[in-house]
Amino acid sequence: MKWCSKDLDMYLQASEYVDTAIVPLIPITWGSQKKNVILKGEFPLILSEEIERQLKGRVFLFPAITYLVSERDEEILKRISALTSELENEGMPYPVFITSDARWTGAEVLGDRLVNIPPVPLEHMDEEYQREIVSEQVKHILQIVTKKWQNTF
Amino acid sequence: MANKDEVSRRQFLNYTLTGVGGFMAAGMLLPMVRFAIDPIMKQGAGQDMVAVVEEGKITEEPQRFTFKVNQKDGWYESEVTQAAWVFKDKNGDIVALSPICKHLGCTVDWGTDPSHPNQFYCPCHGGRYTKDGTNVKGTPPLAPLDVYKKEVKDGKLYLGQAEPQ
Ligand code: FES
Repeated sequence: MKWCSKDLDMYLQASEYVDTAIVPLIPITWGSQKKNVILKGEFPLILSEEIERQLKGRVFLFPAITYLVSERDEEILKRISALTSELENEGMPYPVFITSDARWTGAEVLGDRLVNIPPVPLEHMDEEYQREIVSEQVKHILQIVTKKWQNTF
Repeated sequence: MANKDEVSRRQFLNYTLTGVGGFMAAGMLLPMVRFAIDPIMKQGAGQDMVAVVEEGKITEEPQRFTFKVNQKDGWYESEVTQAAWVFKDKNGDIVALSPICKHLGCTVDWGTDPSHPNQFYCPCHGGRYTKDGTNVKGTPPLAPLDVYKKEVKDGKLYLGQAEPQ
């Protein structure tokens, strides 16, 4: 389900079936590395949308948590933890944070809720190849997510 | 007296006037008829069939094929990729099923549940469907998978809209 009122209505009808929030983590800057930073945002957003499409009935795709590249780790992690506990209290025990920002590798607060995908520059690839790469990664994330769900339904 | 083979002035006028009148009537009526049936013709044109796969590639084992269609979502028109599970049934007839789970809309897969290798399986809440798309009782989905409108032309399978069974 997507972040829109139509899908929220759907959620309210079937909330017992929805337990997973998909939250992209996206860095922002307008400094000299902007090209690189955009790349790190583009890919996880595409993947998150595709995950939502495949697992529509059980996940809710959130707007990304964005942060400035210059922002301190603790600040950002504090925000992420706040959301995580809110989600847990409100019937979303399996938040999945999707990022291509290597900054979060090994961040303990995130633990196995983090899915870190190396960014792939899709812009110079032909469509066929792009689709292949995306579907490869999507498959990988699907496995991670469905594993969390084992024995729950 | 006029010769039998000749057309009299009166007859000639009659013929021409009926002819011209007929044309005029047709000229007025045709647009009206067109208006009346136009919506029907337009609707047909909106659901274009899209070539998906060569007929020869279709097996008895369901395979997943993707194809592109134009979709209008409110004011936003875009090209979206759709998927279909395509196979030949026992009688050799082609079946094309929508992969969208009828429970809450996840994407179903073929044979991914180890204990039911010959069924469609939904990873979200364990929904299952038999090969022909019938929902398995006791799993969440309450309806069979949608079926694509299909057509085989020049050795190729064309798919249209997915419709409830
Ligand atoms: S969406 Fe398929 S079983 Fe719930």
